[in-house]
Amino acid sequence: MVILSFLLLGFVLVAVQTTFFHQFPHWLGRPDLVFILLVFSAYRFKWFGGLFLAVLLGWLMDVTSGVYLGTYLLLVLLVFSMVKFLSQNSSVKETVFQIPLVGVSYFCVQCLLYLFFTLTQPGTLPPWSWARAVQETLILLVASIPCFVFFNWLYEKLTTRRLASRKLKRGGGNRFR
Amino acid sequence: MKKKTNDRKKTSRSRVPRLFLLFVLFVGLLFTLLTSATGRRFGIFHQATLEALGPLQSVFTNISLSTVRLKDRYITLWNLQEENDSLRKELDTYHALLDEYREAYSRNRFLETELEFKRQETFPALMARVVGKDPSFWFQTLIVDRGKNDGVVTGMVARNSLGAVGQVVQVSDNYSKVLLANAPSSAIDAIVQKNRVRGILKGAGEQGYVLQYVLKNGDVKEGDVIVTAGIGGVFPSGITLGTVSTVRSKRRGMFLEIEVEPAVDFSRLEVLYINLSEEQLIIDEMSHSLSSQGE
Repeated sequence: MVILSFLLLGFVLVAVQTTFFHQFPHWLGRPDLVFILLVFSAYRFKWFGGLFLAVLLGWLMDVTSGVYLGTYLLLVLLVFSMVKFLSQNSSVKETVFQIPLVGVSYFCVQCLLYLFFTLTQPGTLPPWSWARAVQETLILLVASIPCFVFFNWLYEKLTTRRLASRKLKRGGGNRFR
Repeated sequence: MKKKTNDRKKTSRSRVPRLFLLFVLFVGLLFTLLTSATGRRFGIFHQATLEALGPLQSVFTNISLSTVRLKDRYITLWNLQEENDSLRKELDTYHALLDEYREAYSRNRFLETELEFKRQETFPALMARVVGKDPSFWFQTLIVDRGKNDGVVTGMVARNSLGAVGQVVQVSDNYSKVLLANAPSSAIDAIVQKNRVRGILKGAGEQGYVLQYVLKNGDVKEGDVIVTAGIGGVFPSGITLGTVSTVRSKRRGMFLEIEVEPAVDFSRLEVLYINLSEEQLIIDEMSHSLSSQGE
């Protein structure tokens, strides 16, 4: 249920990114909300559920963005695995590091994507721009704060509801007998 | 006792002429009033009355005027804030209406242009509305609301009244993805319209286009119009692509560096036309290439 809800949220975020965000002025940028959701899923979901969600998010992005199918899928899997690994095995799992990690991972992904295409399909991407990459990363960092708050709230809401319903199911009989 | 009765007689005697005098005065006054009123003359009494009444009227008028002024200046101000607010609201409504009319006007102008384009063009154009744009800044693609069900296949050319827009790269039943002509992965055979100098127009993302492989001796200047060459069968010849914005000739190399400003504003695309006439050609090409791969 939680995964499904977040998948629906991913759908909405993709729709927002591909429509509303293009009305914004250029300097405001177009923060990649799906990427934020991906990092969040790596923090909060377990391996199996998180991977499932990540794959579907990558799929969605592949459909709406780019020309070469599978690119986003690969990137998403890579990011998810890296963040999950880091968040499980180091101090990065602390809340303080969550937002900076979004920025760092996004910047690394941009570099990786560019490197990948430069090696495999030269000339298919516009020239690399440090200013642009830094600007996009900063915009994403700013956007990730409210997004993380919202995702956390939604996650807590969904999981507590699930726990409550489980408790209700378990304790169905008369306890005072 | 006798004295008392004498005094009474005296007073009654003196009252009579007084009463008579009063009566005469009253009759005289009545007569004057009547004669002046019936004679329609603004006589002395009228004037005197007016003179007496005038200052009083003046005082009352001043008082009433002052009261009205006071009311106008201060008491009505009590309602001014409300009135101001309501007027502001009204103004906002009218501004919104004006914006709506402006938008409708510009939209009408735009649709008129597109309609004219559709009337003039000979190819079977399928109008498609842009429903989504690529969220990443690396790729330049669009999603349009036409797909296989409308006869769209991969490889079809998208245009609008201003020029070439791009090419369909992925298709589903009702939607298609269009790779914009300014995408770095796009390359179009192009010529300079005035002298038919040939080159390859490469997409440069948000910077527009770059015209490559034009020799240094080619006569290309700023403002020259670049159109499709029609070689390769994808784009028909003569479709406007853009205008030369910068020409650089470096010491090294044999080609000019030419930047081209796209004719189409890719950031504001709302509607485009897919050229369905290429359909059969593309299907033939695809089946041909598939069969040759099979062999």
